[in-house]
Amino acid sequence: MRATEQQRELRAGIQAIGPAIEAGHIARDHSGTFSETGWKLLAETGLFGLPFDEESGGLGQDLVTTLYVLEGLGESCRDGGLNFSVSTHMVSAGVPLQRFGSAGLKARYLPGICAGTTIGAHAITEPEGGSDIMRMRTTAVADGDDFILNGTKAFVSNGPIADVIVVYARTGKPENPAGLTAFLVETDSPGLTRGNPIEKMGLRTSPLCELFLDDVRVPRRNVIGSVGAGFLVLDHVMKREILCSFVINVGEMRNRLERCVEYARTRTQFGAHIGSYQSLANKIVEMKIDVETSAKWIFDTAEKLAEGEDVSIDIAITKLITSEANVRTALSAIQVFGGYGYTAEYGLEKELRNAVAGTIYSGTTEIQKQRISTLIGLHRAVKPTKA
Amino acid sequence: MSTTETVASTIKAHILAEFLPGTPSEELDNSYDLIDNGVVDSLGLLRLISWVEQRFHVPLDEVELSPDDFRSIDAIGHFVEASTRS
Ligand SMILES: Cc1cc2nc3c(=O)[nH]c(=O)nc-3n(C[C@H](O)[C@H](O)[C@H](O)COP(=O)(O)OP(=O)(O)OC[C@H]3O[C@@H](n4cnc5c(N)ncnc54)[C@H](O)[C@@H]3O)c2cc1C
Repeated sequence: MRATEQQRELRAGIQAIGPAIEAGHIARDHSGTFSETGWKLLAETGLFGLPFDEESGGLGQDLVTTLYVLEGLGESCRDGGLNFSVSTHMVSAGVPLQRFGSAGLKARYLPGICAGTTIGAHAITEPEGGSDIMRMRTTAVADGDDFILNGTKAFVSNGPIADVIVVYARTGKPENPAGLTAFLVETDSPGLTRGNPIEKMGLRTSPLCELFLDDVRVPRRNVIGSVGAGFLVLDHVMKREILCSFVINVGEMRNRLERCVEYARTRTQFGAHIGSYQSLANKIVEMKIDVETSAKWIFDTAEKLAEGEDVSIDIAITKLITSEANVRTALSAIQVFGGYGYTAEYGLEKELRNAVAGTIYSGTTEIQKQRISTLIGLHRAVKPTKA
Repeated sequence: MSTTETVASTIKAHILAEFLPGTPSEELDNSYDLIDNGVVDSLGLLRLISWVEQRFHVPLDEVELSPDDFRSIDAIGHFVEASTRS
């Protein structure tokens, strides 16, 4: 994309504080610690409110600008878990509120989300399954002016630090696309408990937990969109989640590529820079191709989405290409750095561990392929014509 | 044919071609619940909404969205009329 002066300034503002935010990222990864300092620094820049209306405390920027700035976050901050928490916060709660929330809900929660003082999360996946969301078991039953929620959610990113969680629950029959509803639930609601933070392979500085809902009473006014519209809310959110979290990965890939180029130009073996050897150089060339392909898919899809085009297939392709490129480039970077790449000290093995998560969350690689095959008509039954 | 009838027949032709290939037109009632009867599943709903947006120029970003508006040919027709009325 060709950035405007204003877009460049917004991105430069984030990149200027990148080193301060990422400081200590390897030690935090080791201990699995979320950076409250980094969060506060980012909050001060106004980043969390970037795409939200100015009357709700946001900066009123469009989707493409938001992505461009988030790419800058990924490029300048190597705390991948913190970066992931940022996009989760903005997209899980802010995005559905902005598009589907009532005036009352927006007034109550969006200013805090923009300021970073009300941390957001969302709960879709359940212990029994995450891919087949239309069969989720958590229920919401109407009771006067409230709904009563019961069920268990697995893998809630930001769960341990969240103030509000958008919980998706069944208000209709399983598999019925009108059977889900999205609820904004405050984490201090009676009956809501959170499990301990879950240890995981990567993104260790982004806290994750289970969520238990035991007769949690949620006022009807906390329904986001209408009753039964949960699947449409989720689809709107997922498209933006894929763009926002993976554009951060594009920034992270750019940073990784730059470090590899620098290393390959300075590390000498057999009397020459390792970058002068074709087989090693090709690895870095392929990284460059991966980064640029991912960026093109993300920004092209975002522009189409902003223009109201149907991007269902594009989103699935974008997610596949970018998540797989992230894993590939992380693995290549370790190879370029040799033994040092394999050590924790260089932070590259952490990037590989982080990258693997991207092939699972927001719909696994297999589910994206399944979606594409359905959308191009491979699963549609057509009656055979008579010869 | 009135505009309402034209819209309904356009929607019906699309539903038959995309979701019920081979079904005779007279077998599909305009009030038939496409969602509860499993004709339109979750991905199908997204495809249908996107087709409605493009075919009838409905500014989806500016309207309330509910699956109820896509339950039947009649419901979709009402949604299109209400959303495109200036
Ligand atoms: C770091 C991280 C953060 C996450 N954050 C959140 C969060 O904030 N909120 C939330 O709700 N969830 C979150 N998740 C959960 C995530 O969305 C799910 O893990 C994911 O959707 C897969 O669901 P599952 O784990 O139940 O696997 P399953 O659905 O059980 O799948 C297991 C395997 O089977 C494959 N599979 C399943 N169905 C098919 C099929 N039809 N065809 C081919 N293969 C298939 C899958 O691709 C996968 O390889 C997070 C996950 C991770 C790793």
